[in-house]
Amino acid sequence: MHNQTVVNRLPRNVIVWLAIGILALVASSMLPAGFFSWLWDRLNVFATVFLGIFVEAVPYLLLGTFASGLVEVFVDRDQMSRWVSRRPAAAAISGAFMGMIFPVCECGVVPLTRRLFKKGLPLSAGISFLLAAPVLNPIVVLSTASAFGWGEMLFWRFAVSLVIAVVVGLVFSVQKEAGEVLRPVLAGEEHDHVHAEPGDSIPEKIRKALLITVDEFFDMGRYLILGSMLAAGLQTFISQSSLLAIGSGPVLSVLIMLLLAILLSICSTVDSFVALGFVGTFSFGSVLSFLVFGPMVDIKSVMMYLQVFKRRAVMYIVAIPFMMSLLAGLVFNYFVK
Amino acid sequence: MTSPKKKNKKQTTVANGWVARIDALSFDTVAISILAILMALVSLTILLGEGAGVKVGVSLPEDGTVGPFENITFTFSEPFDPEITSDLISFDPVHEGYLEWVDTYTMRFVPIQPFEKDMTYKLTVSAGEVTINGREVKKAQTWDFTAREPSVAYLISENNQSSIWSVDLNGNAPKRLTDETVKVISFHVAPNGRFIIFTSVNEKGGIDLWRVSREGNDAAILLDCGFDRCTTPVIAPNNKLIAYSREAAGPTPDLPFGSPRIWIVNLESGADGPVYEDQQILGYAPSWSPDSNKLASFDGLADFINLIDFQTGEQFLFPTSTGAPVTWSPDSTKFLYTTFEQTEGGGRTQVKLADLSINETITFIGEKDAYDYSYYSIAWSPREDRAVLSMRASREQLTQVLWVFDPTLLDGIVIAGDPEYTYNSPQWDPWGSALLFQQFKLRGQYKPEIGLWQEGSNQSTVLIEGIMPQWLP
Repeated sequence: MHNQTVVNRLPRNVIVWLAIGILALVASSMLPAGFFSWLWDRLNVFATVFLGIFVEAVPYLLLGTFASGLVEVFVDRDQMSRWVSRRPAAAAISGAFMGMIFPVCECGVVPLTRRLFKKGLPLSAGISFLLAAPVLNPIVVLSTASAFGWGEMLFWRFAVSLVIAVVVGLVFSVQKEAGEVLRPVLAGEEHDHVHAEPGDSIPEKIRKALLITVDEFFDMGRYLILGSMLAAGLQTFISQSSLLAIGSGPVLSVLIMLLLAILLSICSTVDSFVALGFVGTFSFGSVLSFLVFGPMVDIKSVMMYLQVFKRRAVMYIVAIPFMMSLLAGLVFNYFVK
Repeated sequence: MTSPKKKNKKQTTVANGWVARIDALSFDTVAISILAILMALVSLTILLGEGAGVKVGVSLPEDGTVGPFENITFTFSEPFDPEITSDLISFDPVHEGYLEWVDTYTMRFVPIQPFEKDMTYKLTVSAGEVTINGREVKKAQTWDFTAREPSVAYLISENNQSSIWSVDLNGNAPKRLTDETVKVISFHVAPNGRFIIFTSVNEKGGIDLWRVSREGNDAAILLDCGFDRCTTPVIAPNNKLIAYSREAAGPTPDLPFGSPRIWIVNLESGADGPVYEDQQILGYAPSWSPDSNKLASFDGLADFINLIDFQTGEQFLFPTSTGAPVTWSPDSTKFLYTTFEQTEGGGRTQVKLADLSINETITFIGEKDAYDYSYYSIAWSPREDRAVLSMRASREQLTQVLWVFDPTLLDGIVIAGDPEYTYNSPQWDPWGSALLFQQFKLRGQYKPEIGLWQEGSNQSTVLIEGIMPQWLP
């Protein structure tokens, strides 16, 4: 009776935590020797990889959100409709080349595309911009050239990326109702807190652009952190060397490089130097598919796509470039190189 | 008859019909159809690709001529097994060499003997398996090639300028390979004859290494040595490594350069560093063994030849004070070098033979000479049974003659011995059948000439005026 009274006096959550603690102690005593030092090592690796991905991507996200802020205050819907063709093919091609004006990598391109959609950019142009801009921009041209020279790899990286971006853009042009693929915030159901007014002075516009930058940076930054954590987690527990070891043969090597592209989540501005390390071990086609697909789709960019597009659209944005990169890699492996 | 206007209208209607049909399709239908098409294309590509088998590319020039020691590179479209694959590669006529694995997709044939002149070789990659999981080359491929006639590279130095030139043995006009913007100090031709490494003074007063192709006019800095002096480059027979002598700049410009040390730069990886960790080991006049595994250099402070074997890591010392480069036997097991010894009769130069296979060094020539023959330059030919030595012909004669001899019999002939001239720096061609050398007339105007001796002839000829001749294979 006395014991029953004591138990009754203890709050329920304390009992639960005590039980968890006891269970944890029992479980830890059953774990093999060296488990905690292994776990500690893994956590260190996780932290290092996470910081590597995140710190590399943050400046580009900031650049992209700043560009987004500038677009919001300096570009209006009329200008957008004058600049970009409404015809699907022309819109998709012009969208793919917009990266030459907005040099952003895959982290920065998402908020900028979201903003351009709000400004009335056609779906086909926005999608091809989203996929092509991380590759078809001056910074990536220079970094690819410095890693591989002004030769075939540079040419085919841009040519294949352009084709994929335009094809996916054209597929999305079939969708006439943007609200069917874009999340509500872009379909006009939610609004920003900051707006540019026609009479705003330049300093006022810049102030508003910076406010939008901050808002959007923290908004997208959450998903960048989540994506970076996922990528770091996968890299920590899936050994890169074991992936590379099974990556021989014309088909498997491309598949492995596509998986690595998703897993590594490297920014397109520096991925050429990583890819250079695979030359000699992997075929031209495999390295090319890595360089084409990586900037379009990786874990952190998918997390950010999910904030702009509905799931079904994200699935197509991932699947079509994946299949096209695979096809390009296979064609090069079997018939070209 | 239909009017053009009506025809256009009809086409537009057809086009609009297609657009309308596509418009009528739902987004999901189009996207899934595209994915299905892509999947079908991927399957078709795999099917056709698997049927085509593994492809092989070979690094032979379009004109089908190669250097006598040209490495031939095979590139496979898929990772291959070197052991299985080597059985598929053959030369007709059979040629001595070995296959070297480069990376997952690449292998190269390194000839041990030079490809014969005036001979057409047929290289065949037979059909067969190249991987352990059964991937195969479906169809045999053949390529024909011949070894090109070597030219001669040399230096012309005049009006405070010096440039590398090349000339063939057929009497055609010489060709300038480096322009007047770079002043060449010394150079070395790659054994495959594809490029030349040369040295030139930079703006800081240091000496850089440069590279120019055998065709010339594309000289570019290979190694910026800054304030240091990088000199006497020697390219290894594998054409990948360059040994050179490096003198570090003094702490201030008015202080002298440091002592020379041997460094190696790797042309493939770009890695550059000293050969010996021990800073006390000095070196110049590097000399590679024909298998590229050993490197000899002269330490002028310790009066030793240092030899390092890169395969075993072993180091050897051979006392000498002459400082002349060593010359290797074709099988890389022996080398000859000159020394200066005090004997009962006085100071004598001698030729020593170091046999690395039995760890023995013997006095090869000059042990009991009545007077000093001043043995100077020595070169072992790619043929085991032939070498050349520059020496005084008699006690009275101070000029150097060239003596071609058989190292086993020590029997030979003087191939250049005009008493009006002195001869040195002999260089064998890749087949050991012709010699290039430097000759100077002792009287009259200074006029350095390049001499040529060819097998079967008792007389040498003057090829052209110039200095530092080297074969350009």
